[in-house]
Amino acid sequence: MSNNGKNGFEPDITAFGCIFCGYMAADTAGTLGWEYPSNVKYVKLPCTGKIDVRYILAAFEQGADGVYVVACPLGNCHHVKGNERGKKRVERAKRILDEIGVGGERLDMFFMSGGQGKTFATAAETMVERVKKLGPNPVKKK
Amino acid sequence: MINNFDSLHHPNRTQDVATVMVLGGGVAGMRAAIDLAEAGIRAILVESSHGLGGRVAQLGFMFPTHDCVLCRGTSDHGYGCTRPAISPAFMDYNLHPNIEVWTGTQVLNASGEAGDYTVTLRKQPRYVEPERCTNCGRCAEVCPVEKPRGFEAGLTTRRAAYKIAPRATPNAYVIDYGPYCDDCRRCEQICPTRAINLKETARDADVHVDAIILAVGHQLYDPRLSEEFGYGRFSNVITSMEYERLASRSGPTEGMITRPSDGAAPKKVAWLQCVGSRDQTHPYCSSICCMFATKEAMLAKQRVPGVDCRIFSMDERAFNKEYSAYLKQAREQYHIDYTHCRVSNLKEDPETHNLVAEYVAADGARQKENFDMVVLAVGMEPPAQATALAKQLGITLNSYGFCETDKFAPLQTNKPGVYVCGAFQSPKEIAESIIDASGAAAEVMRLLSTKISRAPRSREHPFIAHDGEFQPERNVANEPARLGVFVCSCGDAISQVVSTDTLTASAEKLPNVALAEHVAYLCLPEGQARIRHAIEAHGINRVVVAACSHRTHESLFQRVIREARLNANLLEMANIREGCAWVHRHDPAGATRKAQELVRVAAARATQLAPVYKTGIKPIPRTLVIGGGVTGMTAALAVADAGYEVVLVEREENLGGNLHNIHFTVEGSNPQRLLRDLINRVVGHDRIRVFTRSQVIEHRGHVGAFRTVLATHVKGAPQPVQSIIEHGTTIVATGGQEHRGKEYLLGQDPRVVSQHQLEEMIVHSPERVAELKRVVIIQCVREPGHPEYCSRVCCTNTMKNATRIKMLNPQCEVVVLYKDIITYGFREQYYTEARRRGVLFIRYTDETKPVVEMKDERGEMKEWGALPRGDLAFTSLQVRVQEPVLKEELTLRPDLLVVSTQVTPSDGAEKLAQILRVPLSSEGFFMEAHLKMRPMDFMEEGIFIAGMAHYPKFIEESIAHALAAAARVVTILSQEPLYVGGVVAQVDQSKCVGCLTCTRTCPFLIPQIDPKVVGNGNIMGAAWIDPAKCQGCGTCTGECPATAIQLVNYRDEQIMLRETAGLGSWVTA
Repeated sequence: MSNNGKNGFEPDITAFGCIFCGYMAADTAGTLGWEYPSNVKYVKLPCTGKIDVRYILAAFEQGADGVYVVACPLGNCHHVKGNERGKKRVERAKRILDEIGVGGERLDMFFMSGGQGKTFATAAETMVERVKKLGPNPVKKK
Repeated sequence: MINNFDSLHHPNRTQDVATVMVLGGGVAGMRAAIDLAEAGIRAILVESSHGLGGRVAQLGFMFPTHDCVLCRGTSDHGYGCTRPAISPAFMDYNLHPNIEVWTGTQVLNASGEAGDYTVTLRKQPRYVEPERCTNCGRCAEVCPVEKPRGFEAGLTTRRAAYKIAPRATPNAYVIDYGPYCDDCRRCEQICPTRAINLKETARDADVHVDAIILAVGHQLYDPRLSEEFGYGRFSNVITSMEYERLASRSGPTEGMITRPSDGAAPKKVAWLQCVGSRDQTHPYCSSICCMFATKEAMLAKQRVPGVDCRIFSMDERAFNKEYSAYLKQAREQYHIDYTHCRVSNLKEDPETHNLVAEYVAADGARQKENFDMVVLAVGMEPPAQATALAKQLGITLNSYGFCETDKFAPLQTNKPGVYVCGAFQSPKEIAESIIDASGAAAEVMRLLSTKISRAPRSREHPFIAHDGEFQPERNVANEPARLGVFVCSCGDAISQVVSTDTLTASAEKLPNVALAEHVAYLCLPEGQARIRHAIEAHGINRVVVAACSHRTHESLFQRVIREARLNANLLEMANIREGCAWVHRHDPAGATRKAQELVRVAAARATQLAPVYKTGIKPIPRTLVIGGGVTGMTAALAVADAGYEVVLVEREENLGGNLHNIHFTVEGSNPQRLLRDLINRVVGHDRIRVFTRSQVIEHRGHVGAFRTVLATHVKGAPQPVQSIIEHGTTIVATGGQEHRGKEYLLGQDPRVVSQHQLEEMIVHSPERVAELKRVVIIQCVREPGHPEYCSRVCCTNTMKNATRIKMLNPQCEVVVLYKDIITYGFREQYYTEARRRGVLFIRYTDETKPVVEMKDERGEMKEWGALPRGDLAFTSLQVRVQEPVLKEELTLRPDLLVVSTQVTPSDGAEKLAQILRVPLSSEGFFMEAHLKMRPMDFMEEGIFIAGMAHYPKFIEESIAHALAAAARVVTILSQEPLYVGGVVAQVDQSKCVGCLTCTRTCPFLIPQIDPKVVGNGNIMGAAWIDPAKCQGCGTCTGECPATAIQLVNYRDEQIMLRETAGLGSWVTA
């Protein structure tokens, strides 16, 4: 990447997402060629209701500089309200990250429909830009 | 049986298998094809355009839920949202083995009879072989021709080489090879897989089928014909379909609503209703426009802050479940303004391109008003091919050009073996089209009952396969992981960005990798063969495919490895095309690093994979039908005729339900004939057992194996007699009832009657009707405190009875006091007829409700209820109402007052809902799985809903709904085995502390605490999740405090990948 952040820092980011709208939005971004930074990897879950505080914390523990979750729009979850439960857990994980000094702003959740390829790309950009400013994950092993 | 066409893969085509042609590939056609296919009948789905989906594919949101969840169209799991298709069964590589899809195909001719039709089809050239198209898009890049994009309602353009929509079925490009092409042939030359052949010609074929279902939909009225609105001349006048694309999240603006003239956000938008409906040339109501305009206005309010929305309509026709609440929300929460009039014309300000609407308001005043955007709610017309189709098939069209059907056989055309569903029958919305579609499938199942399940299919695997298609699996349980990594360069669609050589080389060094190969096209037959061969030759027991989208190709590669005798779940894909190469085109180094990381994670996950198996159960081939009215009897007969046993339960002494109270219909049919006919057939049917005076008191089990306890009241017996019924499915058909409240002196004064009582009088005491001088009918009467909703049937009933009164007694004055007249579809003609006969209509609102009073012998006014019984002879009845045009109060003195009361759910619906563990809607009716896409299913698998138990409806609608539920039942009872489980949540009961967290977390209320099971710490009571019910979302697993629940295929170790730190760390490249 040419667009380097603080001290040339390039974050490693994990994106959790469901196999319905989230994966579909990623696919649509691909089909329509909406580009976004390449340092984001997608971990697919059957629903964002499957997101677990432990998974989010494990991602940080393993070295991710930022984590975000991509879900169906609220009210439009394939599993009716799995994304709402997921949202609650993301909020809980944010509080834990704040408490342990990693910082809750390294974690976020985005809601989008499967047709919103541009929105998917924008979410990736937003997270990469934000985490670049925040610098590397303090718990990352050197 | 097909001559000439190079048809798709269908190994088991034999003479014995029944084949049905479904014409029209929109939601209705797709739904009908799925139901037939699931019942083991082959369906040939013929669509004239080059892709499936029809109108619904273009819609961004559905009213009233504002959801886009076509993914919930079926209960299938996995990459569900498949717009334009409604089910994974239409994804190219997971196409149902009993469905063949022929796009770009029209009917030329048809002959024959039920059970033996020959249809001549013409397949227009697509110029692209879909099986070889990899969607790389090169053809479109080099194509010089630009045309309006139909999918985007012409708001954007496309090339002559194009894809209908980003996600199309078939998932391939098409060449619009027309006279505007200068024969440059660049597309043909550049296609890397040689999928394009511009020499392709149209081909004809004769197809032999047993039956035909028509699902050809509708076309939209061309608003250019209504010159007064200036569509096509004024840039800011758009159609509702154009607006749908603007508001769609997948549309050209990703949902931003903008004015065509300058791209600015509009400040004031008007919707003009009934453009091409309820007029001289279209004397019917298009049924859906009031609701979609409401939805569109709400979307504007959500997206454009401060926008002013005005809907010009004659009536607001919100006549389905939850629609009244939706309309109320639109008015009260979104402040959308409804004006009751037609706009006479629009004028454009040439500078600002704003529009001036001229209209006469409800109070008679002439008005001019400015808007900066106007949306024309264009009506539904019969499809363009209707006349030709009618001629080819020998079916009759009605006077409006739609398909003619009988009131009591709403899905049959006049030609035996030819059925109709969806908007071709009459204008209707998605939910009703889907009901019709399944219902038409039920008619076919009845016709072809001896051939059900002749083409067995299996859901044993994550993809749909033929039953017994594969060799037994290789047992790899005791082998150490040996991974095969296959990297696809997709020609160079991937490798021009990602270095597939680097990727393959790095994959080779990953732990447990036995083989890493680089292939040009993994999806083509030669690529598939490479994988199968490598699995055998190298003893590979886990496969990683680095290629394109899981959504489109996972089922293909699952099938490939299953063919090589590996369990289909031992596959892991890495999406290095849509998820990498195509989104990092300008960052090849970054893209290669990411691809390496994706493959590293996929390999780590593949190492953790275990085979997944479903459990096959034999469904008990019997259905329970609760309710013995027209719906219950129709459903029972359809299931029994298709070859399965039925237990029909009726609470009353006799079968028939509400049909006993209906003596004639507005169309002139005789419901009593239907009643006799149904009862005779039900009672005489050797597969139907009827339990009258009986109720369900217990209902347990799951799809395929329910156990129900019935209590039958026997005359003279002190206790009800209990019977135990074992059955595979349940249909709830408990109906509704005309509410008999006390409003407006109903039940207190003999001069005040309900609609049913009026009908009795017309039939049994016409002499009384002949003496009447003035009748007042009050619509929309509901008991205070009851939820407000449209009972759907009352307006038409009023037209029916008012017209009868006028026929028997033309001198009698008939005045109807109404809020909105809801005579949707072709019922509009009876409204017209009532007015023609001189019935008067006066509108009232919630603020100006009519007042009914009595005057006593001294001439003093009495509030209703104030007089003692028996004094009626000395009182006169008086109705006061505000006349909106004259703006003065009228006092009417009727000698008969009719009140149209609400239709409410049958008594006991609440209790039954508890027994069945199914939900009720806000109106108190049973709540289906999804308002639009699954109107006959409950979320609970194996339980179905039909008729007035769902919502008030007409006889023909109840019949269609009953048939739909019957079709769904047959698709389950005919599955042998019925597969349950797979990717579901499993409880380790030794860890469970019975804390109830999962029971509260599950969106579907599936986990239960089994008090008989020993949980953690030897305490009784642990959670149990029925694998036949679990939807596999995993929501419970993330909240279980004891981590006692794991989701198959997404177990903690399979996600957290601790050894390789695959969840957080990245490769160092």
